[in-house]
Amino acid sequence: MELDAFRSSVDRWLDEHAAALSPDHPGMGTLDQQMAQLAKVKRLAYDAGWMRWGWPERVGGLGGSTLLRAYLGEALTARDLVESGIYSLTEVLAPTMIDYAPPELAAAMVPRLLRGDETWCQGFSEPGTGSNLAALSCRATLTDDEWRITGQKVWTSLAQYADRCVLLTRTGAPESAHRGITAIFVDMASPGITVRPLETMHGGAEFSEVFFDDVAVPVDRTLGEVGRGWSVAMDILPFERSTALWHRGAFLNRRLEQLLAAAAAGALAPAEVGEVFQQLYALRARSRATQHRLAAGQRLGPETSVDKILLATAEQGLFDLVGAGLAQDVLVGDDVSSERWRAELLYSRAATIYGGSAEIQRNIVARRMLDLGADR
Amino acid sequence: MNDQEQELFRDSLRHATVAHTAEALDAELDDLGWRDALRADRRAAVSTLFELQGRANATSSALDTVLATALGVDPASTAGVVLPPLGCCRPPGRVTAERLDVRGMGTAALGRHATAVVAAEVGQEQVTVVVDTAALELRPARGLDPTIGIVHVVGEGLGATTRSTTAPTAWTSAMARGQLALAHELVGASRTMLQLARDHALERIQFGRPIAAFQAVRHQLAESLVAIEEADAALGAAWDVGSPLDAAVAKAIGGRSARAVARHCQQVLAGIGFTTEHPFHRYVRRVLVLDGLLGDARSLTRELGEGLLRTRRLPSIPPL
Ligand SMILES: Cc1cc2nc3c(=O)[nH]c(=O)nc-3n(C[C@H](O)[C@H](O)[C@H](O)COP(=O)(O)OP(=O)(O)OC[C@H]3O[C@@H](n4cnc5c(N)ncnc54)[C@H](O)[C@@H]3O)c2cc1C
Repeated sequence: MELDAFRSSVDRWLDEHAAALSPDHPGMGTLDQQMAQLAKVKRLAYDAGWMRWGWPERVGGLGGSTLLRAYLGEALTARDLVESGIYSLTEVLAPTMIDYAPPELAAAMVPRLLRGDETWCQGFSEPGTGSNLAALSCRATLTDDEWRITGQKVWTSLAQYADRCVLLTRTGAPESAHRGITAIFVDMASPGITVRPLETMHGGAEFSEVFFDDVAVPVDRTLGEVGRGWSVAMDILPFERSTALWHRGAFLNRRLEQLLAAAAAGALAPAEVGEVFQQLYALRARSRATQHRLAAGQRLGPETSVDKILLATAEQGLFDLVGAGLAQDVLVGDDVSSERWRAELLYSRAATIYGGSAEIQRNIVARRMLDLGADR
Repeated sequence: MNDQEQELFRDSLRHATVAHTAEALDAELDDLGWRDALRADRRAAVSTLFELQGRANATSSALDTVLATALGVDPASTAGVVLPPLGCCRPPGRVTAERLDVRGMGTAALGRHATAVVAAEVGQEQVTVVVDTAALELRPARGLDPTIGIVHVVGEGLGATTRSTTAPTAWTSAMARGQLALAHELVGASRTMLQLARDHALERIQFGRPIAAFQAVRHQLAESLVAIEEADAALGAAWDVGSPLDAAVAKAIGGRSARAVARHCQQVLAGIGFTTEHPFHRYVRRVLVLDGLLGDARSLTRELGEGLLRTRRLPSIPPL
């Protein structure tokens, strides 16, 4: 299907099913409500076929350009039907399964994620390992035909809702760094896994600590080759910095428009409004070019760090403007709309932290794009 | 143009802009058929030439040609175009009682053309008037960038050689095309600033290692590249969409980005970059002046914000 035809069909379908698709809760809702809403929208969009376009047929998709699924996410986000962050986790994790899981496993699992039957999470960070991902220590040991996993992950988004986890484990010697890492697809219901939700500063518990105590996982759940988990991680990150950002950009544009509608006369400085619009414009332009490269079959790499830097700058710029233009709501408002602005303003502070911090992105640009050599 | 033709075209333009500037570059552009290219594929002709011109710190009459074409002058005939005064973007001429007054700026090429195109307001209407360049007073602007060759243009009570009423959108569209061209030139100049700073960072040894090993230096260079890519991406979308608003956004982002690149790279180049023996200063001068032409980043950004606050709606944004 062509993008233009897809766009108008999706738009028409969204119009016709607006009532069925819209959230039952007022405002942003609790995380539980957002998750239920996400599952509902994915289910409806999957059953109508839209959610399957842009994904390969061997995992239950209908084929077609990846631009189709970029557009669907944009449309759902721009209409406020899903929260972009939790929606886009699909864009981060499904491509990994498609590229690295044994084909039967990918064929069995990906449709469940697309249809909203399941939630997956990404277990990378550990208490001792944030930016320096290659130093992770959650240990997996191969015994006969299964892995035994022991260790801890932290800040794992949606782990408390998740049915599965794409987990990075240490399978080489402790000092093997990026050479001794293996990616494993783990059932979160496995005995030995404990999930403890962590309250975030923007409200709710978006992420959790996850403890693994001698958890058994069949060896056919290995993603990619043993000891080559680093390349799985390196291929995930560009997805985190591409389609997910296209969706996020759509969300930010909608919120800018809502800010313009909500702010009192004189509350916003024209120069600041203009600059935020331009930052969002540049983000969109860059992210759009990235989407077209992806659709043309190009491999995404370190240049997606530019996209992430633009996103973080634009998102924080927008919510700084929200803080100024809607100060009353943000600081002392107690209605659902104020609550939402406040939560989003606080959440925007994480944009320079998750998915590789602002500093790590700049390190990547310096090392990989400017070829400045080692930083020591 | 197909990819291969575009590559060849780009290569010849690169040689031309590196080896020549001013009249000599104009002659090269004529030989290379740049005007024909402008007619056949405006986007390729403008984006390629202006970026290379910016990279090489060269000047030419290409901006005049781009504007003249937009104002309905055949690109095959050469004419200068009077630019609006600094700050955007009222037509530089005014016609009252059949006499034309002009107050604006011009590129170095203006004086080389026998005739000059002046966009002028007549009451509510816009016209383009072609005048003899000799009738205008051109005063070299000895300002921040002596080699760009910008001139102040004044004319009072002129009679017009020819005069035609233009579509009300002609001037707006000329400004938009000029803004895109200048934004490409800003990106080109920024790329050279970054290249100079990067080369220096890899060669300059302090504390026993290249300064490129220091994270503060690396991050300034990374910041510069991000700013350049940001401006370049905005330009890509602005061409695709093609509206004046998009062009103004791209120009503003280009100006702001070039200023950021200049600041970061100046810091990395430090002492050597502060001398006139090093080429860096030419680029700093150039980008500050290019930012000022056809609307500087600050004014365009403020005007954009005022517009958004008036309508309280976002203009349509580039679709996927
Ligand atoms: C909302 C949110 C959701 C998240 N979701 C997930 C998830 O689903 N799965 C997951 O695995 N993780 C997740 N994370 C964790 C996230 O990936 C880490 O927080 C991030 O990688 C940074 O690690 P850290 O917090 O340990 O900070 P550190 O690595 O300890 O860094 C602290 C500070 O030092 C700086 N720093 C570190 N190293 C360098 C260096 N080499 N050069 C310059 N500066 C440096 C950092 O930029 C930062 O400013 C999430 C985090 C947040 C905030």
